[in-house]
Amino acid sequence: MANTTVVLDNGAYTAKVGLANEDEPQVIPNCIMKAKSERRRVFVGNQIDECRDTSALYYILCFQRGYLLNWDTQKTVWDHIFSKDGIGCSLENRSIVITEPQMNFHSVQEAMLEMLFEEYRVAGLYKTTSAELAAFNYVADSEERTTMQSLNCIIIDVGYSFTHVVPFVLGRRVLEGIRRIDVGGKALTNHLKELISYRHLNVMDESHVVNQIKEDVCFVAEDFKNAMRVHECDKKRKEIAVDYVLPDFTTCKRGYIRMPGQPREEEEHQQMVPLCNERFTVPELLFNPSDIGIQQVGIPEAVVDALKACPWEAHRELLLNILIVGGSAQFPGFLPRLKRDLRSLVPDDLEVSLICPEDPVRYAWYGGKEVATSVNFEEFVYTREEYDEYGIHGLHQR
Amino acid sequence: MSARIKDAEKKRVLDGAARQRRARKALEALEQDNFHDDPHADLVMSKKLPKFQDSIKSGKEKKGKRKGAEYFRAKYRKNFQQLLEEDKQQPNYVSAAAPPPKNPVRHFCAVCGNFSQYSCTACGTRYCRVRCLRTHQDTRCLKWTA
Ligand SMILES: [Zn+2]
Ligand SMILES: [Zn+2]
Repeated sequence: MANTTVVLDNGAYTAKVGLANEDEPQVIPNCIMKAKSERRRVFVGNQIDECRDTSALYYILCFQRGYLLNWDTQKTVWDHIFSKDGIGCSLENRSIVITEPQMNFHSVQEAMLEMLFEEYRVAGLYKTTSAELAAFNYVADSEERTTMQSLNCIIIDVGYSFTHVVPFVLGRRVLEGIRRIDVGGKALTNHLKELISYRHLNVMDESHVVNQIKEDVCFVAEDFKNAMRVHECDKKRKEIAVDYVLPDFTTCKRGYIRMPGQPREEEEHQQMVPLCNERFTVPELLFNPSDIGIQQVGIPEAVVDALKACPWEAHRELLLNILIVGGSAQFPGFLPRLKRDLRSLVPDDLEVSLICPEDPVRYAWYGGKEVATSVNFEEFVYTREEYDEYGIHGLHQR
Repeated sequence: MSARIKDAEKKRVLDGAARQRRARKALEALEQDNFHDDPHADLVMSKKLPKFQDSIKSGKEKKGKRKGAEYFRAKYRKNFQQLLEEDKQQPNYVSAAAPPPKNPVRHFCAVCGNFSQYSCTACGTRYCRVRCLRTHQDTRCLKWTA
């Protein structure tokens, strides 16, 4: 019997990885980190859990502008992932399901194939995108008997480097309809960093901490103008204003929102940041990138623009099957806001239905598991024999 | 007011080009991974450490013709801009970009985050009311150049 296939949803922020017969993937930071407190070592992937003081953490990422460009970093992280400290087995003589970004560059694809086949000696690979894997999982999950061949849906992948709107008609990506918005988790964290640094205290070196602040306090306003009015009104302001206690890495390793009322004794000496409209103006960039000078429409208009590139007969079903995945899809309020905005943009006789899965980060990986364990998986796989004979060109002629 | 003081004040006003440069820098900063230097940059020791785990093991463990990370770094060294220029696919990265917005752009006060109608005459930073303008002038105007 063939070795169990590995599924790797290789994101710019985290790699979701595991054997296809496992129930769930590990989520491992896809980067190398350096801490100023520990000068004798670096932290690769989930080794960061061993780091006691993550202040001023320095990141070496594999991806630039959303594409895998730093291959030596990626190799170090993959070496870690495919060792006993990672998933516990090597890639040698196994097939792999691996994701790449939408519109990946040719030479990046070439590098990926060369490294996997020649360096890690995989038996075969199926190269795909997170959106396609999410679509697979959507089909597998659906209660009606939808097949991949009959699937019309829109996947919105809100990632770390950018956001993609990917329409599928009859189970295939409509390439002309794919839209990219240059806002993702990284831009949001960096924007929050700048707001806090301008208004309160300099946190420009604190990506790790500010990323946690973002996760802990940010939400999407369902009605942005109304939320701004609440913020401007001195009486109502307290509905959204919070104090965030920063970690000091001795008594407190992770920051948190301070409970209203008297500060607790141990909080007397801790640094606090007051946050109010920052909580919703930051995720707002996903809906209005122009708020920060990016000359692009936000997600709702991008969905409508993507729709225009799809055959009109499919529109009704596309709007009924909008699936949101990716780490930055987890802000509270994201779904109702998107629904509200879309409702106002599409004709009244078309229904709009959005789905955000319970776990939008791992969702695509589960789709990869479906593919890898399906009976016709071998038809998807580009084998080492094929690679040795035709190189990357054979893959593109399939 | 003497001409010299006027001159000095003039110099403290950012011109259009400088403001554009600042706006561009702000956009680039959104993509930046770190705003501080490598905390281990001064370590001499780290240079002696093998850069990649596999370069320690590979010699013993696997005698195959593996190329190692250095090979990949040297072969695939194109930066994003170069990849963009040689990209011949259709549709591609450029054509997939979301279109520009049609709605008028909203502005926000740099100090408090409210909607803003005004901008500082010296540097162009947005503010919403006199109180915020004062805060901006007292502590931030032309000092905050990220
Ligand atoms: Zn203001
Ligand atoms: Zn100013």
